[in-house]
Amino acid sequence: MIALSRQRVVFVFGLLMAAPGLGRAQDTASRRDLDPLARLSEGARYSIELLFDSARVAGLPTGPLESKALEGISKRVDGRRIVLAVRAVFRSLRDARAALGPEATPDELNAAAGAIRLGIPPAELGHLKRTHHEKQLTVPLVVLSDLVTRGVPRDTASTTIFQLWQRGAADEDFLGLWRGVERDIVSGTAPGVALLNRAREIPPRGPPPAAPPASGARPERSETPNP
Amino acid sequence: MLTTGEYAVAQSTSELETRLEAGALTSSHAGNLPLNSFALTPGIRYANGRLSASARGSALLGGEKWQLGNSTAAVEANTPLLYGVRAEVFANASRLYHDASMRNDQLDAEGRLHFMRQRGGVWLGSGIARPLRVAAVSNVNVSSGGIWTKLGAATLRGSVTSFFFTKVATLTDTTVENNATVCPTHLAAAPAVPTPAIMGTSAEATVATACRHQSRLTDIEGTVHWGHRLLELTVRGGQRFGDRLDVTPESRQWASAQAAVWLSAQLAAVAGGGREPAQPTRGLPARSFGTLGLMLAYWPIPRGIVPVETPASLVNAFELRPAGPSLQRLTARIGGVETVEIMGDFSDWAPIPLIRRGRDQWELLIPLNAGVHQINLRIDGGQWIAPPGVPTMKDGFNGEVGVLVIKP
Repeated sequence: MIALSRQRVVFVFGLLMAAPGLGRAQDTASRRDLDPLARLSEGARYSIELLFDSARVAGLPTGPLESKALEGISKRVDGRRIVLAVRAVFRSLRDARAALGPEATPDELNAAAGAIRLGIPPAELGHLKRTHHEKQLTVPLVVLSDLVTRGVPRDTASTTIFQLWQRGAADEDFLGLWRGVERDIVSGTAPGVALLNRAREIPPRGPPPAAPPASGARPERSETPNP
Repeated sequence: MLTTGEYAVAQSTSELETRLEAGALTSSHAGNLPLNSFALTPGIRYANGRLSASARGSALLGGEKWQLGNSTAAVEANTPLLYGVRAEVFANASRLYHDASMRNDQLDAEGRLHFMRQRGGVWLGSGIARPLRVAAVSNVNVSSGGIWTKLGAATLRGSVTSFFFTKVATLTDTTVENNATVCPTHLAAAPAVPTPAIMGTSAEATVATACRHQSRLTDIEGTVHWGHRLLELTVRGGQRFGDRLDVTPESRQWASAQAAVWLSAQLAAVAGGGREPAQPTRGLPARSFGTLGLMLAYWPIPRGIVPVETPASLVNAFELRPAGPSLQRLTARIGGVETVEIMGDFSDWAPIPLIRRGRDQWELLIPLNAGVHQINLRIDGGQWIAPPGVPTMKDGFNGEVGVLVIKP
């Protein structure tokens, strides 16, 4: 009987000791549900929140930064690499804003930032925007980023896309170009050759080019299209 | 547990599996009465992307005495997948137990090169085994090759395994046809080594009637594992090649089957039976067996066996079509898979499962405003990939995302 009482006392005491801990665990769980960044370590989270603040001060959208952080968390990337990726997005957004100007839409900024992260010089993007400032640059830049990702030499890709843009190519032209190049690459054609071949098929839609791109980049000789 | 190719596929997440089987086991081999026992078999297995460790053992109750039955402890490690190829090493310590007079322990080590894709793979391997307390006096050289593939809910595996070893044969070797004489007359009664007891015989008796014999045999084995809803079925069959001194008639062919019906998430009824070939390297004869029991399974860490690679070529179609204001209908045609998920900036990068609409049709309505969105696709819990048919870009984490451009 005495032993039973002792067990009860121990049980109640254990429950009292455990209760605050349970409460803390629930707090942590609900905090994580409300704030996905809570899954990051304190250091990584602090670094990322500093980048958010910097973006706000610079007048940049914080959405892409937050999205990149969430993407990294969801893909179970470690905190240090997430900070590096978010920092890269911040810097490329800042460069894209400087190149495209304050009138650039968020989608244009995002697309330009993606191109900058792949090594396209911001000055070229600025020149592009000034050529047809009334048109949306988003699709050409999305296509440009894809082409570079698929292995088209950077200079070849940027020069070709810039020339098509100056010739007044529409979004559908760029998307059609992308589909054709993708098919050719899958069929075994060298990426640069595939792009140059397909670009020739797009008819001019506007006035002849007024000026070459700022950097004057030319296609690589090794990527000359087949006759 | 560690010899099937499909289990060699790496995992993206850690997994811990515990099982306890309890039931009746009956086994017999030529010339002996069936042995009936109650078997209690606990097992535990941990695996992550690079390492897997497992242990499993049986406690057999025959009559009034508990006896340690078949048991295995194993470790497997592998390199990262490079161009679809990875190296694997296995180490295994096992005990085979037929009855009190027929038991054996063995240590194994094997290396493999495994070329694998999402739905199949091929491997080549080589290794050694060291039987203890048995007739083989040399290490057993093991060469193996195999192929596996997934067809719908079924996994098919075929393997060829060759064994080469030197054994001390007795004049009345139970693993040899009709207890034939293995030793040529001039070699009989000329013991080369003092061997330990073989299957319960005394060392002295063995030495007096033994000789060394070079044995080589090759097993071809096929396995089909099929799982659908609550039912899991495994069927196995094989053929052994070798001369009659190494292969008994009852070991030329074998077949067995095992079925598990899941009664709940953690409880299954298990039944099986068939024939197992002799294990000449271990001095154990062929036997027939039958089992019937219950299995308790528990996964403290969620089950996560997933293929490493998810080639976009599995996706036969991937389309987005407007389905209303700020709503897109995503359809995909992907055959022979269990789950398809997407995630993107539109879901705050939280995975959303697609709904199966047919044998290979998958569908989902997603709210997408006009603009540029990023998207990833995952099949059967594999790697996140960019869906085919949309532009891609680097994600900054050594992967790619698809880019969706939604027009206003």
